[in-house]
Amino acid sequence: MAEIEVLSEVTGSVWKLFVQVGQKVKEDETLMILESMKMEIPLCAPEDGVIKRICAEEGAQISEGDLACVIVV
Amino acid sequence: MNNSKAEKPFSKVMKELTLRRKTALAMGGEEKVKRRQVEGNLNARERLEVLLDSGSFNELGLLAKSYREEVRHKSAADGKISGFGTISGRPVAIVSNDFTVLGASSSVINGKKMKHIKELATKHGMPVIYLGESSGARMPDRMGAPGRAILGQDPAEYLRTRETPWVSALLGDCYGSSTWYTCLSDFVTMRKGATMAVASSRVTSLAINQPIDSEELGGWRLHTSTTGLVDSALDSDQSALEEIKVFLSYLPSHNCEMPPVQPVPSDHIDLGHELIEVLPESRGSVYDVRDVITRIVDVNSLFELKKRFGKSILTGLARIDGKSTGIIASDPKSQGGAITVDAIRKATSFLVLCDSFNIPIVFLVDQPGFLIGIDGEKRCAPGRIMNWMNALSLCTVPRIAITMRKNYGQAYLNMGGGRMSDVQACWPMADLGFMDPKLGVNVLHQIKEEDDPERFSELVEEIEQDSSAWALANLYEAQVVLDPAETRSFLTNTLKILRNSKGAPIGEHRLSNWPTSY
Repeated sequence: MAEIEVLSEVTGSVWKLFVQVGQKVKEDETLMILESMKMEIPLCAPEDGVIKRICAEEGAQISEGDLACVIVV
Repeated sequence: MNNSKAEKPFSKVMKELTLRRKTALAMGGEEKVKRRQVEGNLNARERLEVLLDSGSFNELGLLAKSYREEVRHKSAADGKISGFGTISGRPVAIVSNDFTVLGASSSVINGKKMKHIKELATKHGMPVIYLGESSGARMPDRMGAPGRAILGQDPAEYLRTRETPWVSALLGDCYGSSTWYTCLSDFVTMRKGATMAVASSRVTSLAINQPIDSEELGGWRLHTSTTGLVDSALDSDQSALEEIKVFLSYLPSHNCEMPPVQPVPSDHIDLGHELIEVLPESRGSVYDVRDVITRIVDVNSLFELKKRFGKSILTGLARIDGKSTGIIASDPKSQGGAITVDAIRKATSFLVLCDSFNIPIVFLVDQPGFLIGIDGEKRCAPGRIMNWMNALSLCTVPRIAITMRKNYGQAYLNMGGGRMSDVQACWPMADLGFMDPKLGVNVLHQIKEEDDPERFSELVEEIEQDSSAWALANLYEAQVVLDPAETRSFLTNTLKILRNSKGAPIGEHRLSNWPTSY
């Protein structure tokens, strides 16, 4: 078991969250949608796993490299 | 003499040959070989059986041993099994590191073996495959001044001229030569759980006086996502070895021939008519570019390289009408397609691969520009962008660029715009400007939408007209405006023309000496 930190790849705001703590996710599944550069950009799971922690809130600002959530794989 | 019980001629020496071969084939001994089996890892000879056509391995150096008396008895094949074989009937040269023999450490004799194999492969035009698992330099061979005298005696040891493809698989702990040859290779795959680094976590930990986790130091996540040194990571030795076969199926055996042609699969169905539905009408919406590519190329033929690295650009080999084609595509699903420093490095390395081995390149473009910011500047973004442009300017294989939707800024040229391609086409929804039209109005006219919606909308429309596919076609900058459904037939027909060459290969391979691992 390893913990994987999922970092925001862009600077923008969190538009929509799609997952909850404890939820199983598959690789490439959309975790949240960020608004940046006038686009809706998905942040996807890098691997199959379970959401351990969510560090982003809908409507909040987020910067490139910020921790968005933690997945246990 | 007529004695039926007399021994056959040379029986003693023939028995010795049998015994020496048997000893060498036993590798590092029963116990070590068994331990690997228990751990579920293939040994160096089993890996050859998986990779090569059955019975095709032709070994050179089975009876080579360490030149040092004290370890000669335990140095079967001197730890690096080498020779030739075939994959799908095509010859390859191979070095399989045998970790059970002195950790497959690099020595004088196995260095000679590798050099010989590389020279023969280059001279006779075949790929070289390195199956990595090695502990680094052998001690005491390389200690002190005598050790220095062994190193560097071959000035071409680390010279990479890309006359034939090189492929590496990381299948265990890889330090020293397995690391160096990986970094010189055109394609690298690894088994999850294998590691690659300059030195082992134990040595590194001692050197910097900090505990180091080997997975963190050189595991698959690091190399597929952060360094980009590894193209793919698989769950088992077998699947990593299968990956090598797939990669080589797209490549010629050497740079003086064209890549092999395969028949278009019988289950291929033209899905070009669906492309118009894949592309979202709203500029603010994104999509997965794989949904575009798989509707253009031969069914199941897309083979992605560095999928987890620099994800806003997809690089992959595919077949169009059965012929190998390199794809460099924006992937809006990742960072909206904005091109990062990692994506720049990925695109440049892919240009080098295609230019070296006669593979035409198709750019599929939907990008809002380079991802600008402090992080990118710290990581030398401008230099990397020009590195890419320099490589593209040297590239001589055929290139076709298709703008699908957005194509903004300087990155227009990096993605094959202008004379950076032989032919440039657009889909009708193409949007070619310096930036997003709404942002353009903000910058040029200092008007925000909420200030004066009517005027703002007029100005956006003005910019859009000026940035349309029609405007580019009027200027003969886009030679063709395509219905997306026509993309496959356009590429098939145009590549047929561009592949025509006065000689056998289609390029001058000006990038074949380009540095590795940039």
